[in-house]
Amino acid sequence: MFSIIFTWLIVAWGALACIYMLRCAWSRFPRRDVDADDVIPFLYPVDISLAESILDPAAEFECRWKLGPRRFREAQRKRMRLYLELTRRMAHNAKVLVEYAAAEKHSHDPRRVSLASALQEKAIGVRLYSLLTGIKLRFWLLLRADILNSMPLAHLRSAGEIDGLQTYSALKTAAAAAFIQLPADEQDSLFRNL
Amino acid sequence: MIFLTYIPLLLLVLLLLTLVRRRSFKIVPCFFAYAAFAVAADIARFATHNHHPSYRLTYWVTEAGYDVLGMLVMYEVLRKVLGDLTRAWWSRLIFPAVLIAGIGMSVARANVVPSRLSGIEFYIAVGEIAVRFVQVFVFAGLVTLVPLLGLRWRQYPFGVATGFGLYATVMLLATTKFSDFGTRFKLLWGWTSLVAYSVAVLIWIWFFSVPQKASTPNSELSAASAGDLKQYKDALRRMR
Repeated sequence: MFSIIFTWLIVAWGALACIYMLRCAWSRFPRRDVDADDVIPFLYPVDISLAESILDPAAEFECRWKLGPRRFREAQRKRMRLYLELTRRMAHNAKVLVEYAAAEKHSHDPRRVSLASALQEKAIGVRLYSLLTGIKLRFWLLLRADILNSMPLAHLRSAGEIDGLQTYSALKTAAAAAFIQLPADEQDSLFRNL
Repeated sequence: MIFLTYIPLLLLVLLLLTLVRRRSFKIVPCFFAYAAFAVAADIARFATHNHHPSYRLTYWVTEAGYDVLGMLVMYEVLRKVLGDLTRAWWSRLIFPAVLIAGIGMSVARANVVPSRLSGIEFYIAVGEIAVRFVQVFVFAGLVTLVPLLGLRWRQYPFGVATGFGLYATVMLLATTKFSDFGTRFKLLWGWTSLVAYSVAVLIWIWFFSVPQKASTPNSELSAASAGDLKQYKDALRRMR
């Protein structure tokens, strides 16, 4: 009985995947042009120094030292929610940049294609890190238990062998290279929003 | 009528020529081996078509070959896609886990649905269904990653997985549903298999008909001009 139910579930998953691929193939025509106006206003600012402070083991140790176990748990939950929000923003920004890079790859200029490839590679790294960290954080938040006392947030610095903050900084650098032709004021707003 | 059953052979020859033209044996060697084997297997089946014992032997030997190569191709696809994404230790466990799940599902199904086959033929058939499960798992899993991570879907490993995934999904559906039709089962199954496999080969031809774009930055490009470098330095300074 279970094997038949699982078989149907797998067949349904496969059918949905087929429909998705068909949609991908179909939506190639007509191709949508994406430029800087489709990127800069859609980015959410990510405070990297805040992320650094959340992941700092010394700050966490100080918190644990100053607060009692109950208050530390509460503070830790707040820090987790904050970091979850930061990873959500990172993932969103990476998605916006991936779409831009995918459109840029159709350019006839090999340098632009190369810069778009580098941008896409970093953005995918950020998306993977955000996905894995998001799963981990949601699981920890779901537990609502004493485990929060023993889970140092510094462990979230890397997921799937990807250093999140380092990869995000690399993404910003790749974005700087990809948008080098923009006027200075637009570049400023790009960096502010990233 | 017999001509129609060999349409996939003609398409496979076309696919093999496309793969050679694209030099894809360097990118996806297992899939290239699979395509070459499929052409040889279909020619062997065609040659022995009028001699029942030889055809039966050829059929089961080539089916076993399809099982092994089908697994190897899925391993290659998964390694290519995941290898570019992460070097985490657990990524190496994904294929064995998928393989165990596929074999488990196939064995469970064999227990529920009694087979008329026995001996080695039974094991080859169980292996074939396990390969179908693995192909759907890998295909659907990879396609799920496309919107999640923003991966580029038009790349060779995704093309290989799409062809196999479509065929395996249709065949699993056919194997599960068409058994309700009794004696009409064999005819329906044969035609569904023929059409689904032909579509799968057409998908492969379409994916391999264009050269794969570089997924990593091209190191052979000429150095940036002094003006570009200055702009780049200014941009980085403003970023900080």
